[in-house]
Amino acid sequence: MNVFLLIILAVLATAGRVIGLVILSIVTGWFLAYASIKSKFFENAYIILIEIFESVPVITFFPVVLVIFITRIGGTLGVELAADFLVFTAVVWNIWMGEYQAFKTVPNEMAEVAENSNFSLFQKLRYLYIPFSVPRIAANLFPSVSDGFFYITVSEVFEVGIHTYQSFGAGSVLNTFVADANNIAIEGTLIILAIVIIIIILILREFSRYAVSRYTLDNDTPILKRGRLNMKQTARAFSVLSKNPLSRLATYYKYREADKHEDKYEKTLKREKYLKYVYASIGIIILLAILYSSASLIISVKSGEWQILFSKTPLLLIGLGYDYVRVGSILLVSMIIAIFLGYHLAVNKRAEYAGIPIIQTLSAYPAPIYFPFLFIFTEPFIFSIFGGFTNELYVLGLGFVSTFYYVLYSFWMGVKAMPSEYWEIMKNLNMGFFKKMRKVILPSTFPYLISGVSSTINSAWGGLMIGEYWPHIYGTHTLYVHTGLMKTIDISTSSGNIALAAWGSLIFGIIVAIYSILFTRRMMDMAQKKYVAEEGIYSA
Amino acid sequence: MVEELQINNKLNSEIVLNAENINFSYDNGYKVFKNINIGAARGKFVAIIGPSGIGKSTLLRILGGFLKPDSGEVKLLGSKLNMPTPEVALIHQSIVTFPWMTAEDNVKLAMKAKRMTGDQMEEKARESLARVGLDGFEDLYPKEMSGGMRQRVAIARAFAADPYVFLMDEPFAHLDELTAEGLRQDIYNILFSGETPLKSVIMVSHNLTEVLELSDEIYILNGIPASVVGKVDVAMKRPRNPRSDEFNANLDMLYNYLTPPRKGEEGKKK
Ligand SMILES: Nc1ncnc2c1ncn2[C@@H]1O[C@H](COP(=O)(O)OP(=O)(O)OP(=O)(O)O)[C@@H](O)[C@H]1O
Ligand SMILES: [Mg+2]
Repeated sequence: MNVFLLIILAVLATAGRVIGLVILSIVTGWFLAYASIKSKFFENAYIILIEIFESVPVITFFPVVLVIFITRIGGTLGVELAADFLVFTAVVWNIWMGEYQAFKTVPNEMAEVAENSNFSLFQKLRYLYIPFSVPRIAANLFPSVSDGFFYITVSEVFEVGIHTYQSFGAGSVLNTFVADANNIAIEGTLIILAIVIIIIILILREFSRYAVSRYTLDNDTPILKRGRLNMKQTARAFSVLSKNPLSRLATYYKYREADKHEDKYEKTLKREKYLKYVYASIGIIILLAILYSSASLIISVKSGEWQILFSKTPLLLIGLGYDYVRVGSILLVSMIIAIFLGYHLAVNKRAEYAGIPIIQTLSAYPAPIYFPFLFIFTEPFIFSIFGGFTNELYVLGLGFVSTFYYVLYSFWMGVKAMPSEYWEIMKNLNMGFFKKMRKVILPSTFPYLISGVSSTINSAWGGLMIGEYWPHIYGTHTLYVHTGLMKTIDISTSSGNIALAAWGSLIFGIIVAIYSILFTRRMMDMAQKKYVAEEGIYSA
Repeated sequence: MVEELQINNKLNSEIVLNAENINFSYDNGYKVFKNINIGAARGKFVAIIGPSGIGKSTLLRILGGFLKPDSGEVKLLGSKLNMPTPEVALIHQSIVTFPWMTAEDNVKLAMKAKRMTGDQMEEKARESLARVGLDGFEDLYPKEMSGGMRQRVAIARAFAADPYVFLMDEPFAHLDELTAEGLRQDIYNILFSGETPLKSVIMVSHNLTEVLELSDEIYILNGIPASVVGKVDVAMKRPRNPRSDEFNANLDMLYNYLTPPRKGEEGKKK
């Protein structure tokens, strides 16, 4: 086959996966969001799950997922589904959360019009909820598509033990070209991928503009709450669970009693009530399924193996400590750059006009694809300066390029969303740059910074996962760090020690989830209450 | 046959929509109503007045089945109403249009759940828009309209539902006086034309002149929690002239009822 045709097909396959999975997330998210506004129980289960999974970088469960897909399904289909699953988990949480928040913030009055007109479930979704969620979805598409591209290229070629699993796409053909040292084909792939990503970004920008102009509310439609919802919902789950089952039964019984005489209105009301129970049961089934699969996984590990795992745990934790320091430094550098660059982009129309599309394209262009080439060209020079620290520097660099866009982008949106009065006040008071930052800009963009920071942290883990142990980054070269949990997980995956990889991922997942729920969500809540001026998420 | 008879019976009964012994508190514990009784008879135009924040909008929502009272019942033609129905159309105090649809599509929303063909819906939607003076504006989006035009779209949507009862919450507040006057007369004429299923109207308004001009009965809400502190039957002949002495005397009387809600009573908001 003609090489360029092959490249084009491969790039399209990769892009198709990302777009297909984004669409799948959007469509499933609508129904899940609707179920959660109808049933408190479902809502609680759903939100807890999203929060946990959103805060655990997907790539850490990939080895385990891959093995499950390959042993249970097997063949090309198993590998393809594993890759799709990875990308799905990369793109889905943002979108689901955004849709849920949109559905939760549909103005009461509009919902009343729908009720007044006796809409069926599908009519409510079609005429009210889905259109209302469009601007939110548009705002979440950039990060989701970027994440999708980031992971799809990684997941297209994956080594477990002696096996290499491949699915057709830009990542896997590139891998072949590198092995054959086919430079023209390598460059061709990089360029064609860039072109396709630029086209996608331009389309997304157009869509985003259209979504804002067509689907946002008019000013005088009442809006009670906007922006990220208060995450107290998580706590509510426990209040639902803890409510005395007898008293719940009693209210149910009371309801039945009151119903003796039937009216046409009451029949529909009953159907609604039953639907509620259906949603609740779906929530329960999902929770049970997760409990069941975790339990069966735990049981399948032999006790001798557990002992080995436990004995290795302190080492894993030390590795995690190192990794936190790495994430912290990446975050710090990203934030400093974000604050200066983001500010200038936001106040300078010309810079913004050119800068934002470039940043969006760069963030969607998967770092794992171009990084090896960057490495080849710069390594000798960097090594001559930094010597033994070179590898560490590259790993940090990879973490940085795969992630700094998020905080930059959200900070820029935050500055854009500041009310124009603030600018006038700053002018009036003749404030200098640092004073402006400290007194006005940082406080008023705080919620944006926080949400940018949490996406940055999540993606930084992805970058570390890839960088801390990257065999054959080119030729016989292997990029690796001295100590790191991600490295341990990587090495145990590629040497086939799935138990250790899974155990490492689990520890990591638990700690990240706890940290995220205790810290990031708190910050979000605080940001919401204290600093929120007005949501400018649509300003993009 | 039996069913038809029953419906006929209901239609002929005096009271179209009524609420009996309504008590209601919001989820935050704020008690809005204590023992409200209110009803609209066939062919009557009923107004609800009271100070701002007393619960007028809340009461309309209860009457429309949007909110469930803690105790008491709402009845439509004698049968219990506990969820919204197209037969009782609510026009909101704030303007509610769907920004992603044209004026015509907004009006069609009221008919989506009915068994109507596309052509029937289109005809009805155009007719309703024409009624509120928006013929020729069918294809505009709400963002391209003024506030008053959008409120008329919302009113047209309510017309298109062919309701028995209109619940109107400050419907004319966003309109200029000329348009408002035209629509008032229109609604009043429709109510008594017998050409549509519309049987009664319940309106909330701050505009006492408007209230006195249109209403047969005026309920006055006051107190915290609110109850009906007065009911005025307006006996003036129609058409009523807001400049007549009789009208002004009635107006003075109404003003006296509208003292601000008394503070410091039980149920006061935290
Ligand atoms: N969703 C809600 N939750 C709690 N309290 C509410 C809610 N909606 C309204 N209230 C309170 O109930 C009271 C009655 O509100 P309502 O909107 O019915 O007043 P209103 O008589 O229509 O006022 P206005 O004339 O200003 O429109 C107010 O004190 C208000 O603060
Ligand atoms: Mg009101």
